[in-house]
Amino acid sequence: MMGRQAALALLDKALSYSKAQETDIYLSAQNLGLSRFAGGEIHQSVAHGDVVLNIRSVAGKRLGRATTNDLSDAGVQRAIEAAHQNALLMPEDIEFVGLPAPSGAANVESWDEATARCSPEIRAKIVQGVCLQGKEHDLNVSGACRTGVQETAVVSSRGVRAYHAGTFAGLILNTMSGTSAGWAKGGSWRLSDLDTEALGREAVSKAVAGRDPVAVEPGRYPVVLDTYAVDDILEALSLYGMGAQAVQEGRSWMNDFIGADGATGVQAMSPSISVWDDGSASNGWPVPFDAEGVPRQRVNIITGGVVNAPVHNSYTAGKEGAVSTGHQANFTGGPIASNLFLQEGGSSLEDLIGSTKRGLYITRFFYTRLAHNKGCVMTGMTRDGTFMIENGQITHPVKDMRFTQSYVEALAGVEYVGSESKLVLNEVGFATRVPALKLSSFNFTGVTV
Amino acid sequence: MPMDDLISRALDLAEVKGAAYCDVRLVEANQERFVVRTGVVDTISNDESLGIGIRVLVNGSWGFASTNIVSPPEVDRITSLAVEIAKASARSSNGPVSLGPPVTSRGVYTTPIQTDPFSVSSAVKLEILLEADRRMGSVKGIMARTGNLIFIKENKTFANSEGAHVEQTIYESGGGIMATARGNGEVQRRSYPQSMRQQGCAGWEFVAAMDLAGNAERTATEAVALLSADQCPSGVTTLIVGASQLGLQIHESCGHAVELDRVLGSEAAYAGTSFLTTDKLNNFQYGSEHINITADSIRLPGLGSYGWDDEGVPSQSTPVVQNGRFVGYLTSRETATGLGLPSNGSMRAASWNRIPLIRMTNVSLEPGDWRLDDLIADTDDGIYMEMNRSWSIDDRRFNFQFGTEVGYEIKNGKLGKLLRNSTYTGITPEFWNSCDAVCNGESWTMWGIPNCGKGQPGQLGHTGHGASPARFRNVQVGVMK
Repeated sequence: MMGRQAALALLDKALSYSKAQETDIYLSAQNLGLSRFAGGEIHQSVAHGDVVLNIRSVAGKRLGRATTNDLSDAGVQRAIEAAHQNALLMPEDIEFVGLPAPSGAANVESWDEATARCSPEIRAKIVQGVCLQGKEHDLNVSGACRTGVQETAVVSSRGVRAYHAGTFAGLILNTMSGTSAGWAKGGSWRLSDLDTEALGREAVSKAVAGRDPVAVEPGRYPVVLDTYAVDDILEALSLYGMGAQAVQEGRSWMNDFIGADGATGVQAMSPSISVWDDGSASNGWPVPFDAEGVPRQRVNIITGGVVNAPVHNSYTAGKEGAVSTGHQANFTGGPIASNLFLQEGGSSLEDLIGSTKRGLYITRFFYTRLAHNKGCVMTGMTRDGTFMIENGQITHPVKDMRFTQSYVEALAGVEYVGSESKLVLNEVGFATRVPALKLSSFNFTGVTV
Repeated sequence: MPMDDLISRALDLAEVKGAAYCDVRLVEANQERFVVRTGVVDTISNDESLGIGIRVLVNGSWGFASTNIVSPPEVDRITSLAVEIAKASARSSNGPVSLGPPVTSRGVYTTPIQTDPFSVSSAVKLEILLEADRRMGSVKGIMARTGNLIFIKENKTFANSEGAHVEQTIYESGGGIMATARGNGEVQRRSYPQSMRQQGCAGWEFVAAMDLAGNAERTATEAVALLSADQCPSGVTTLIVGASQLGLQIHESCGHAVELDRVLGSEAAYAGTSFLTTDKLNNFQYGSEHINITADSIRLPGLGSYGWDDEGVPSQSTPVVQNGRFVGYLTSRETATGLGLPSNGSMRAASWNRIPLIRMTNVSLEPGDWRLDDLIADTDDGIYMEMNRSWSIDDRRFNFQFGTEVGYEIKNGKLGKLLRNSTYTGITPEFWNSCDAVCNGESWTMWGIPNCGKGQPGQLGHTGHGASPARFRNVQVGVMK
């Protein structure tokens, strides 16, 4: 780990090498420890550390880039010069308004010393524990346990100066019998927040209850989606349309729900659906600023089913005369809403299932991909725990099914929203906090072997 | 300190600390990227990455550590860390890892290229994209345009404690354009040469031959035409899958399915497993008699081409499906030993900071006998689909669904009207067993897929897939309603 002083000193030195009109440098550093296991043993266990400097150089209305992890003076100077030369090659972009001005980022807490110091032995003990839980039920347990430190810092010639260090911990579990599977996933910036035994129970219970599934006919069914499946919906809606670049290029699902004048107010989903992005919320995945050093603002993307606005980086905001919302998640690419929340409702999971005369309880989606931009039509599979609901009760497991379904249309048919939410954190820092949902209809187009 | 001395230092220290096996990879990667979006140069970037990864076997278990600081003290630190990790892994072990016969490869390999892509000026590269962008922009109805070029040079030194020491320089070049049209309540896109980009282990000549600018107006015109095309009908029909789309079909339904680590459960919690369990080897009719699939790491410009894999095993060619019968896996030293076989050299890591995994090499459908024109003329009623737009497959690689950018009706042996939102779905062995014709070498192309996700922490692999169009009977099409 570099630490605040060393990181900012490195960036200051790098900045001093620049002859460009404007320069900013985004430092991304990670120390990761990860242990993968299957069949009751650890088969891969790794550690890595890397520090990458992402450099942007401005020449008038032109922006060049370069990256390097060679932190020697010569390496940094070479990258600074490459970014500058790349800028000089560019044609002018009249919509480029320059690098962001400095503004104070919120202080967020996401550092835990014990997580930062987690050893491979501690991860091995966690693995042993969950494997034992599976063994008691004759289940093959596989998964991954990861811990580490992520540092980010931004320094610019305009005066941006930001640094943040956070820790992360995650456990993914898959349990398999000959005919069934279960899954559980937990993540936090504090290892002690992970109730690994509870995650083990969750994964085991699905595989035990899922034994000997039967195939059901494809078609439209009411569904109860548990949190992992709801996370998939929010992630897809984000990737395929909650960023301003997609909206400006006309390929977002939001384009059909934003007025011609850019005004808000079009009802796209159930009034019970409100979605926002907030990088400073302590019950999410706290990240104080983006890759441009801009503080991450809360953005109300959908309120009461009405589509409001996408998230911005400085470039997309500049095109509209607006201000960046702090959502440049990576060095390149468009803005991304990556700290999403879905408003909880007032119903328990039991209420959701109990309200269903005949439908499916789905714990997880797998390999979901965009099939069509309009309405964010997705196709994918159910996996690791799919069950039939009859007369308000789970009656039997079913074989995994393929769906082809507009996620926007699906959220228009929300009947109940769960009262408890879960933080679902993926491996690259994308996080959602979501409750379970009861939907009136979901389109299943196939069943697997 | 010279790099070879640094590598020897790691191998020696690992042995002193109790490692029964150690390998070291020192990798220096350089990449140039160019992106143009709707008249604006979005990205010109030079990316450098240098680092070293050390893998050890201690007490029969694996440990791996890596660093971007290539210095003696840091190499000592991560060697010790790798040993510490391996000892911790041994706490959860079902028995010692066996690697089979020692690997002692020595030599040098460089991707054969005509023109070093890094010797061509950035201005020339940028002008190709800007000209393609201008030509796409000249077509009325186009809302967004993108174009991208990428050039990679990777210098890699691998050495192990068994005596192997190989040096490789791998070049990759790639590019592509895409036009997006919006209108008639629809959004449609067309890409060239394939979705995202076409990429190969090749030099500048590979990109120059694409003629991106020369194909830009046609690509954009087809995107606009799709806005008013008929929707792909729903039903069961005869399907001719174009070469580019078939490349991805091979990747998803065969390539991943024959990765032996998946079969043995190593990826179960993430990417899934495979229906091609070991009892099916040499004992399962994967496809019809027309299906011959080969995995090789020697057929340029496939992205899975190299001199040795990241365990030092030489590149080679392995039959995977012969006359429809399943006959081979992609393997590592460890997994192959479990089946009593030698490794076929399929272990690759995406970077110095990733552990090698079994990755697809160039997994290709061998050409058949048909000319494409003859195959279409031989088809009374069906659909021709080409160029991937969406893809999804289940965790055992059975149930798949693909969408393509274009479809064409086939009526009485002729290509008919354009179809939009074309999709097809099926079950892998049923689908491949329904194939009754594969086109010949005239329409066979080696496609590159540079974004194959696998492993935790995630790795993006680069794979090659040769294919020519093929015909499949009784396929469910038109899943989008």
